[in-house]
Amino acid sequence: MMESNSGPSQARRCGSRLRILAFGRNPKRTLVRAAVLAAACVAVFKLALLPVRVEGISMTPAYADHSFNFINRLSYLCHEPRRGDVVGIRLNSPGGWSPPHIMYLKRVIGLPGEGISFVNGRVRVNGRLLDEPYEKGACDWNTAPVTLGPREYFVAGDNRAMPKEQHTFGKTDRSRIVGKALL
Amino acid sequence: MKWLRLLLFAAVAALGAWAWVVLHPSPEKVIRKQLQGAARAVSFGPDEGYLAKLAGAQRLADFFSTNVDVQLDVPGRQEHRLAGREEIQQEALAARAAVRSLSVTFPDVTVIVNAGDASAVADLTLQAKVAGEPDMIVQEMKFTLRKINGQWLIVKVETVRTLSQGA
Repeated sequence: MMESNSGPSQARRCGSRLRILAFGRNPKRTLVRAAVLAAACVAVFKLALLPVRVEGISMTPAYADHSFNFINRLSYLCHEPRRGDVVGIRLNSPGGWSPPHIMYLKRVIGLPGEGISFVNGRVRVNGRLLDEPYEKGACDWNTAPVTLGPREYFVAGDNRAMPKEQHTFGKTDRSRIVGKALL
Repeated sequence: MKWLRLLLFAAVAALGAWAWVVLHPSPEKVIRKQLQGAARAVSFGPDEGYLAKLAGAQRLADFFSTNVDVQLDVPGRQEHRLAGREEIQQEALAARAAVRSLSVTFPDVTVIVNAGDASAVADLTLQAKVAGEPDMIVQEMKFTLRKINGQWLIVKVETVRTLSQGA
């Protein structure tokens, strides 16, 4: 008798364990937990930390092609972007808090009110040479000085070894800066 | 039974509201759909036959007005200007002959419909992947649309410099 009963009871126990593993001891509580977790994920990854995949070589060597990162949208709530920050810049008109699907990833090299130019590949801020330890490649860019407005920042990629014509850089309005790269 | 009647009434009202929204979409919704259609029409896959290429180019041209003005100035590429629907059709055919495949999407579309619902401006990001090219093309664009004979048609296409280098 014992032997004939052990098969079905073992299967019942196994099924019960599986149910507990999938839904927890209290399915209602598990459901609430799952809903809270989902809401938290949406809030964090849509409103605060935007997951991004880097495409292209304009930020090498600091950010390799196809590398993964996050844009922290809360980083500039307390202070404005600083020189050297790597920021995400939205392409089309600022649309409030709706997260953009595509952004430029660039480094801030000029702050509001400053005059920025490239002379023989070196950045000059108000005529003075800018120390850029992140810039590794040889660069021969020359540009006319650009004076930034009160809400404008000058951004460029780190890879200045590529031709100037193929590199997207220049001034952008503060409203287009989505946040700072986390990693 | 009163609550059942109320529930039924609420369900019918909700269904009616949903049907109204589906049958009478806002101009913004129509324009967004039109733009996504245009993106699909620009795109093409490999191994397209000649007739398919011709039909694809015609389908794309149908999204534009007869006197459309297209100004493309993508960094690192040759500046391009097209005038009229026929030039667009010819250019679409030439692109299909020159490139194996092209995939275009318009993420992040912002539509502003002008007063009177007769014209609109769509600011969007163009994302294009050309077969054989390692990098994706990403470009901010501005589309001007006008309602012509009850249909929203693209009358002007311009590239926008997201990062300007002007003084």
